[in-house]
Amino acid sequence: MAEGIGLGLMAVGAGLAVGLAGLGTGMAQKDIGAAAVGAITEDPKMMGKALMFMVLPETVVIFGLVIAILALFVLPGQLS
Amino acid sequence: MFLPESMSRIVIVGANSGLDETIEVLYELESVHLIDHTVDADEGFTLGTPRPYSSKTTERLLKVRAMEKDLGINKHTKTQPISESEIRSQISSDSVETIEDEVRAILDRRNDLNQRITELNAKKKNLELLARLPIDLDLYSGYKSIGSMVGTVDKDPTQALAGMGEVFVSMDKKGASVAAVFVKNDDKSKAQTVLSECGFSEISVPEAQGSPKTALVETETQLEVLNKELAVVEKETEVLFEKHKHFLRASDEELTVDAEKGTLPIRIATTKYSYVIDAWVPTPKVDSVKSTIESRVPCTYVEIEENRGRKEKESEEKEERFKTVPTRMKHGRITKHFEYPTKMMSVPKYNEVDPTTLIAVFLPIFFGFMVGDIGYAIPFIILGAYGLRYAKNPDWRAIATVLFFGGIWAAIFGFFFFGEALGMHFVGEAAGVEYTWQSLLGLENLDKAFWWLMGGHGVHKISAEYVGMLLKLSVYVGIVHLTIGYLLAIYNKSIQYGFKHGFLEKGGAFLTFVGLVFICYAVATNLVSSSPLPESTYMGFIGVGAVILIIGIIINAKAEGAMKVVIELPDTVGNILSYTRLVAIGMSKAGMALAFNYIAIGMIAGSIDGVLGIIIGFIAFAFFQLMIWTLGIMSAGLHALRLQLVEFMVRFYEGDGIEFSPLKFKRNKIISNKNVKEA
Repeated sequence: MAEGIGLGLMAVGAGLAVGLAGLGTGMAQKDIGAAAVGAITEDPKMMGKALMFMVLPETVVIFGLVIAILALFVLPGQLS
Repeated sequence: MFLPESMSRIVIVGANSGLDETIEVLYELESVHLIDHTVDADEGFTLGTPRPYSSKTTERLLKVRAMEKDLGINKHTKTQPISESEIRSQISSDSVETIEDEVRAILDRRNDLNQRITELNAKKKNLELLARLPIDLDLYSGYKSIGSMVGTVDKDPTQALAGMGEVFVSMDKKGASVAAVFVKNDDKSKAQTVLSECGFSEISVPEAQGSPKTALVETETQLEVLNKELAVVEKETEVLFEKHKHFLRASDEELTVDAEKGTLPIRIATTKYSYVIDAWVPTPKVDSVKSTIESRVPCTYVEIEENRGRKEKESEEKEERFKTVPTRMKHGRITKHFEYPTKMMSVPKYNEVDPTTLIAVFLPIFFGFMVGDIGYAIPFIILGAYGLRYAKNPDWRAIATVLFFGGIWAAIFGFFFFGEALGMHFVGEAAGVEYTWQSLLGLENLDKAFWWLMGGHGVHKISAEYVGMLLKLSVYVGIVHLTIGYLLAIYNKSIQYGFKHGFLEKGGAFLTFVGLVFICYAVATNLVSSSPLPESTYMGFIGVGAVILIIGIIINAKAEGAMKVVIELPDTVGNILSYTRLVAIGMSKAGMALAFNYIAIGMIAGSIDGVLGIIIGFIAFAFFQLMIWTLGIMSAGLHALRLQLVEFMVRFYEGDGIEFSPLKFKRNKIISNKNVKEA
């Protein structure tokens, strides 16, 4: 029973990790995206650079995803 | 391969009589990067003036460009190439002027007709409005004490103007209501105020006799005649377009070349009788450049001033305009395509490592690992090959290159490592939501053909069995990649200032990194792994790591300041962990593929009954796969690039160099004389 609750909490934790990190990334990308669209309208050649800046904050969500992966796959093995 | 081409500085001295010939030779050599002369750089020298033929050339170029614009000829117009000697003889025999006369005559007529048609159209519009009022055109004017006002209105002004004079109104629901008002001159301003409240906007009454309807018919007839004439002129313009497009495009190109050659002297130093040109030439070519110029142009001497080394000290001693050396990236046919991501950051400096080759190695591997599926790899390879064959735009070529080589790596990883196609493993039992090709196609013996795959079925992207291994693998790849970056930073500084300086400036960051790797390895293993390190080994790792870390921090604090060190510590760990995206992106795509395949194959297998279910299933399958594939380009491509630009290049790359741009021309519409002779 206790183990079941533990697993459940881990799943919730994994969800929170991805979800909250995604929110953070989204907030960062919102500003970058707006600026990027502005820059591309001025000079379409900025497209490459703009896309590059767009993916910069995605690191945050990837960290979240990695924590989620650890919580879902690796930590349960540790517990048992 | 790693450092840009070494450069030599030359000085060309000659008599002004040979200047034209020298310019000609410089452009033919295509390996001379001119150094602009600055005013007062040398006593007794002034900036040159454009060549005498230059003004005529510019004038002709302007004429040609104007004609091209009027006739609608642009760089996309398909024309045939003309040989250089032919176009030259045509230009010098005043062809530009003759053609201009011919084209001008037609174009003037066209403009004239267009203007008259516009005028008549405006008149026609007014007459259409006036035709609705029962007044002849000559009755609108010619009064002594009465003033007339004619125009469009929004509201009927009859009530408001009652008693002031005569009002004729024709209201129309579509907003084209017209009113004619006749009032005494004394009341005119009052009437105007009333009218302006009704949204009055005056129209001009054409000068004519009789009823507006007759005038309208007359105008329409005139318009018809003019339109017919215009059609004839348009035809003639088209004939001119076809007749002269080859000449105009070719002469545009030739005159542009001449105009640039003609204005070259304003970039060099001259005296009354002689000129001096400073230039950079790639060192391997410097001797051939010297002998070519000296043998082709009489009374010219070329001095090789220096072969510039990579030490900063060498540059600092020089005059301001000789300090920066242009960078010529040295690359083969394939690595050349990867110059694009490097340049996206900036052009490398003359005395630093050009990371293009390393990007060419790592970018496709990273891309391939993230895609890791032969089903998606094959379209990537095909699309990439197609792009490399046909695309002209450098952006598209760069993307096609990544797709092609990345696709090859994706196929290799997909086939040999993951054993996957379209998100499904080749072999294995279908379990839960997961399908495999073996179970789908009912080939029971397929697993024998793939006996060599890891675990008999390849690496699962989403399974507890492999995820730890994949994460570790990605972190190790990151450590290797970053180590190369840190070592390159030391190398760059070493070639610029010597090894001691290089190590003291950049070695600290590297040692900090190594120390952190040791400590993090020990801590992470004990925290996450099911088989923790023995106590002694654990302490050993921590101890060695700490010693290296402290040495690194001390060196780094001296070089960069304590504040930077504090910021850099978590940053370094973040950089290593950033490489886990190699797995994370692969996993997210595998997760999508798993879900989509489950839905689509479920439909085909009969969760919706009948033929319709199968059709919808196949459509859904194709749509879902296409979506994953497109996301693959975006996420895998961009993240692979980002790892190069952000994690890797930031370690060592400074950039901000000037690109080597030799004097040369790219000819599209003209076959140069050289080529004609060769043919």
